[in-house]
Amino acid sequence: MTEAVLRTENLTKRFGGLTAVDNLSLNLPGRRLHAIIGPNGAGKTTFFNLVSGLLAADSGRVFFQGRDITGLKPHEVSRLGIKRTMQIKSVFPQLSVAENLWVTRHATKRVLHPFRAASSDLETRERVEHTLEQIGLTALAQRPAGTLSYGDVALLEIGMAVISEPRLLLLDEPTCGMSPAETERAVAKIKQLARTIDIVIIEHDMSVVFEIADDITVMAQGGILASGNPDEISGDERVREAYLGRPEDEDYVEEAIHA
Amino acid sequence: MDTLLLLAMNGLIWGLIIALIALGLSIIFGLLDIINIAHGDFFMVGTVLAWFTLELTGNFWVAFLAVPLIGFILGALIQRAVIQPIHNVAALSIVATFGLSLILQEGVRITFGTTPRRILPPIQSTFHMFGIDYEIYRLFAALVSLLALAGFFIFLHRTKLGTWMRAVRHDRETAIAMGVPAQRVYVLTFGIGFALAALGGVVAAPITTVEFRTGVDILPFCFMAVIIGGLGNLPGTAAAAVLLAFLEGIIQSFADPTVARISSLVLMSAVLLVRPQGLFKGLTK
Amino acid sequence: MMTPAVIARVMLIAFGAFLVAVPWLIPVILNKFWVSVIAEIMIWSLFAASVNLLFGYIGLLSFGQALYFGFGMYGVAIGVATLGLSFWPAFGLGIVASIAIALVSGIFAVRLTWHYFAIITVVFSLIFYFFAVSVKPLTGGDDGINFALPPTFSIGGVTGSFSDANFQYFFILATVALCFFLMHRVIRSPLGKAFVAIRDNDVRAALIGLNVYQLRLIAFVMAGFLAGVAGALFAFFGRYASASYMFYHVSGEAVVWAIVGGAGTLFGPVVGTTLFIVIREIVSTHWEHHAFIVGAVAILVVIFAPKGLVGLWNAELARWSERTNDASVKTKLRTEP
Ligand SMILES: Nc1ncnc2c1ncn2[C@@H]1O[C@H](COP(=O)(O)OP(=O)(O)OP(=O)(O)O)[C@@H](O)[C@H]1O
Ligand SMILES: [Mg+2]
Repeated sequence: MTEAVLRTENLTKRFGGLTAVDNLSLNLPGRRLHAIIGPNGAGKTTFFNLVSGLLAADSGRVFFQGRDITGLKPHEVSRLGIKRTMQIKSVFPQLSVAENLWVTRHATKRVLHPFRAASSDLETRERVEHTLEQIGLTALAQRPAGTLSYGDVALLEIGMAVISEPRLLLLDEPTCGMSPAETERAVAKIKQLARTIDIVIIEHDMSVVFEIADDITVMAQGGILASGNPDEISGDERVREAYLGRPEDEDYVEEAIHA
Repeated sequence: MDTLLLLAMNGLIWGLIIALIALGLSIIFGLLDIINIAHGDFFMVGTVLAWFTLELTGNFWVAFLAVPLIGFILGALIQRAVIQPIHNVAALSIVATFGLSLILQEGVRITFGTTPRRILPPIQSTFHMFGIDYEIYRLFAALVSLLALAGFFIFLHRTKLGTWMRAVRHDRETAIAMGVPAQRVYVLTFGIGFALAALGGVVAAPITTVEFRTGVDILPFCFMAVIIGGLGNLPGTAAAAVLLAFLEGIIQSFADPTVARISSLVLMSAVLLVRPQGLFKGLTK
Repeated sequence: MMTPAVIARVMLIAFGAFLVAVPWLIPVILNKFWVSVIAEIMIWSLFAASVNLLFGYIGLLSFGQALYFGFGMYGVAIGVATLGLSFWPAFGLGIVASIAIALVSGIFAVRLTWHYFAIITVVFSLIFYFFAVSVKPLTGGDDGINFALPPTFSIGGVTGSFSDANFQYFFILATVALCFFLMHRVIRSPLGKAFVAIRDNDVRAALIGLNVYQLRLIAFVMAGFLAGVAGALFAFFGRYASASYMFYHVSGEAVVWAIVGGAGTLFGPVVGTTLFIVIREIVSTHWEHHAFIVGAVAILVVIFAPKGLVGLWNAELARWSERTNDASVKTKLRTEP
């Protein structure tokens, strides 16, 4: 049995009286694509924020490939190879699409050269062009990222995650706001990535979840409601209950089961 | 000991006046996101208008009504002409209000001149306290400031406009969605901010000098009160103003004024770094 | 083909040629006095550039750059007048002093951002302003320190000194140009790109692995360096130093110059500074209330050119080149059949 890529012990985060993540102990083995699902406000994004260092946990620990990363700063977590996308899409709006990728690629370097022209770095430029092709944004390379459509920004975020060569990728609702065609492209990309890197994905679109996930963890009210492979989850009564009152999602579950 | 009490007392009174000015600064900042560099000059314009009122009417008491009113109108006009076109962009607001500050100062130099002048207090009598004759007007100034502060908070919590202002400050988008006329609230807020500073100017005019420079000196102090009190925390701002001036008064009794000023600046840096939400967070509400 | 890049290059060369020709050209078309005005403009442009490096490139609005200007200034003045240093050591002292104080204050200041950062930078500068005003024996207070100018160098029989107006002018030109060149290199480097990324979205910048705090501190110290060089030059230029240059109004003016000229553009601060100093010099000979005009111009520019004058120019240029491109495409199409 290999060391878990991501493991948490009794992770807890409170906002005032609200416990967003409640004593969460997770163990995500490597080489698999994990999906985290759960109703709105379940604490999924907060969990990502705790792992990536944007929030400090009130108690509990986080381990990445056996290494304790609790309390590290966001850039330190990032430099260990844990990259993430944001639920509310977040890029560098005044930089061009290509520059967004360029900066992301360079951010992992130890030293940022203060005087050499950025444009003279051919190796990075090639990588940027390659990534642009992969995510299908070559035509928009020179556009400021702030002027892109929502779906294109989401693709750019995936591109930024890819170009930084992560060891663990945390995707927070990557297909949210995408057109069906874009979703298809993104899903294909994620599947391809999952062959080489570990991925944890938060996703509301059940058809996507059941298509790509190896394991599913269902969160509710900050804790784990159920976990298992897609078949186990789709048959789980508690999961159906948790989604009751959100008919759309129930439809998705039905759809996925019958698909 | 006597001088200590005296300076502490003076500090307290100054603190109340500063609180008036700082409140205006704080609501303008809280509602419009405007860092108002010209706010000290609003106060200065108040002192100068008080002087002109006295010259024209021979009656200082008129200034207590007329000057805040003029200030309100000026503030509303300035909001429409200068602040509204820059769409509450904070960086631009700094430049615009800096320009405004220059215009107000030069305007005063052109009309009023550069010579500092003094206004005699409208209440000349003194009473014996701590071994010296203390001006009754200073006590009156404290009273007026207190009343104005109380009036402002009542206005904020008891009137429709006050409720609108609090709503916009709390959450602009929601307030607009609920039908609060944000543009009108902005205009009125700026007017009220100017009026408060101008009233502070009238109250202070007989106990300070009247000249075009006073605004520049008082501005950092007002910002300190706003920060130490906590951005957007209005009672905190008022409390911080009084506390700061009081402390400076006390420090002045055994060290020179610059040391007192440096001490409060250092205190303020510490507050900013350790408790950027202000000293009084958690005490109110 | 006149692309915006070509136009920019032509303008830069013309501008450089003009600056080199100033000592001969200006006395003929205006008078000698304007040569020193232009030298002063260059120094203040450098000062405004330090605000611009922070605000325009890493998104921190400093209202306290006068502190570092003041340290550069006093480093030189105290170096010459009190310590008896010659030109270069005094120059070095001014720059080192401003870098050191920028580092120390930056360690605290860049923990904060936005309004809080703006205010803590003012507070720091005020602390030292009041300090400088009160320790008269060291700083001369508001009256300042006057000092006798040391020669810049003397090799063999040749002496270079600021008392020679042309030498002074070219020394200032060379120093300011070098600083702007360095800044240009930084902006285009990976470091500069990281600055801009932080300005755009600091949370995202941290998530891609940039050490936001450290990079902000680097930018802060660089800006302190630029302000310090400007202060040191100004001390030699005016042969004195005074606490009044550390007051927050001086910082505020630089903010206005940088934003009016165009924050986030290399030459924005030059344009803004030039505009205001030229207005001051021209109006003040006719009307003592030139500040009135300066205030009105500042307001008009932010209302009608919120991206600053250089920003406005760039936008117009981009629109023009787009239009001519469209036109050439159209004419091609029309001539085809
Ligand atoms: N910074 C914060 N301050 C206060 N409360 C927060 C904060 N972030 C999240 N919360 C609260 O914590 C709870 C969990 O939020 P979280 O964003 O983790 O949910 P989620 O599972 O990602 O939901 P969604 O599916 O809507 O994205 C919610 O009730 C939310 O309101
Ligand atoms: Mg979420």
